[in-house]
Amino acid sequence: MFVFIPMLSAFEFSIRTPANDGYGWEHYLWAIREEDFLHYIIRSGWLAALTVVITLVVLVPTMTWLHLSKSTIRPFVDGISLLPLVIPVVAFAVGAQITFPEFVQNTVLELPFLYFVLALPYAYRTLDIGLNSIPLKTLTEAARSAGANWWRTIATVIIPVIKSAVIGTVAITFALSLGEYTLTVLLHWDTFPTWVTYVAQENILGAIAISMMSLIIPFLVLTAVTLVAPDRSTQGRK
Amino acid sequence: MSSKSLTLRNISKRFGNVNALDNFNLEVGVGELVALLGPSGCGKTTALRVVAGLEHQDSGSVLVGDLDISQTPAHKRNMGMVFQAYSLFPNLTVEENVAFGLQMRKVNKSLRLKRAHELLDLVGLDSQSKRFTHELSGGQQQRVALARAIAFEPEILLLDEPLSALDAQVRINLREEIRRLQLSLGTTTLFVTHDQEEAMAISDRVGVMNNGVLEQIDTPDALYNKPASTFVASFVGTMNRIPAHITDGVVEIFGSKLVALKRGNESGKVYALIRPESIFVATTTTQGNAKVLTRSFMGASSNIICQTADGTIIQSLMTSASTGDLHPGSSVQLRVLSSEALVAND
Repeated sequence: MFVFIPMLSAFEFSIRTPANDGYGWEHYLWAIREEDFLHYIIRSGWLAALTVVITLVVLVPTMTWLHLSKSTIRPFVDGISLLPLVIPVVAFAVGAQITFPEFVQNTVLELPFLYFVLALPYAYRTLDIGLNSIPLKTLTEAARSAGANWWRTIATVIIPVIKSAVIGTVAITFALSLGEYTLTVLLHWDTFPTWVTYVAQENILGAIAISMMSLIIPFLVLTAVTLVAPDRSTQGRK
Repeated sequence: MSSKSLTLRNISKRFGNVNALDNFNLEVGVGELVALLGPSGCGKTTALRVVAGLEHQDSGSVLVGDLDISQTPAHKRNMGMVFQAYSLFPNLTVEENVAFGLQMRKVNKSLRLKRAHELLDLVGLDSQSKRFTHELSGGQQQRVALARAIAFEPEILLLDEPLSALDAQVRINLREEIRRLQLSLGTTTLFVTHDQEEAMAISDRVGVMNNGVLEQIDTPDALYNKPASTFVASFVGTMNRIPAHITDGVVEIFGSKLVALKRGNESGKVYALIRPESIFVATTTTQGNAKVLTRSFMGASSNIICQTADGTIIQSLMTSASTGDLHPGSSVQLRVLSSEALVAND
């Protein structure tokens, strides 16, 4: 209720046409015709995709190791992963400006690494649940004894077996990166959400139409990913 | 099949304060099936995992043939392994599971699927090749795991209690199948189990382990009939511990004089270790030396539990035909059929 009523209200608002007091798609058409629309949506899209790649490349092997090694640092890492929830975003922005070398600060590629940190609490927990739900030790040992090195074990066994957790992680990280605003503004970068704010100053209905599209497009893309890659192991063929 | 011998030399492995393997030595000949048997925590699984490369020994070396593989990572050891827990990959079909090792060795798809079907045919599951593993029973899953372990023609086959999660009848069938396959392929095999019947039934030799040390390794016959230590004698099969008196290496039990095989005290009080089948229970009309407590009919043989006057419980295994007169409460005369006995001081 708390999700759908505001969304439906926003949608209803975005299709209003004040000129004739009716409804229409003119704000959506206006948004698509805006020359920066495609530029910013593509930019935010690939930044979010890069964040997803960084998240999976860093987290899956690290968490696999943490689960297998029964390391005493695991509770500590669990705690660290929660820090982005309690540290203000402005602190990350200032921290990045102080610690990142200048050549990193000069490129928009600094954003995916910071988005990764912001998405960490959610991505970490989603993968943690996935890894806890499988006999990880036996499966990795079976793969290794059959001739798979660590990377192939992760790529051909672990990731496919925890696929639903991986898809969840991809969805959360992608959505969070695509919609991230505060950090981006503080670091003086322009992405799709900051552009929407800018557009809203001259056409509020158009900005809402754009926001609706930015909600619906990722939702459709992620739904398509889930449908295209169904869970083979629970299908049952014969 | 390029099977090779396996040698473990002076392997030691500690987990914190626990000595899992203490200067452990083992040799498995080409094409031989050796079982490691022992109570929980004796180090048998650790030994197997050291061979597989899943644990690293603190000292000592592992040799396959003449090649020292102590530092070789697990995925390069070319050993097939079947685990206690079902370890099939749930995202793959049965045939893809069997072909997994070949896929890792970059064998082309048609060849590896052909090989997978050969192996599945060998374990009687070719008709299930397109199924996913959760659609199979426990016994079928372990058959697939066995096929997967031998599909890439490993130099050594390692079996880590592969039957312990299965029902009794499935266990018996599958252990026979493992032995049949192992003999036909000639694969050098190390088999870890805590079930002595399983170990004795299919192994060329059985190693009995205790506290990280190999107490004795021998053929099942020799292990049963000539145990090298009191631990082996008590652990393998059933053994009666009968209080007796020893004088100059001779113990007297129920009126019979037996040569002590392993001398403890030269004279004084000891325990004689006698197998149930070496105890004969005879009915008597006079005052015997024991009373029957129970008689359990087991088909061809019967298990008789008696109690002597001093309270010692004695178990006897006799043919059922000769135990018809034995009823609970009967006064009986016990006799020892063997001429020698292992003795223990405590």
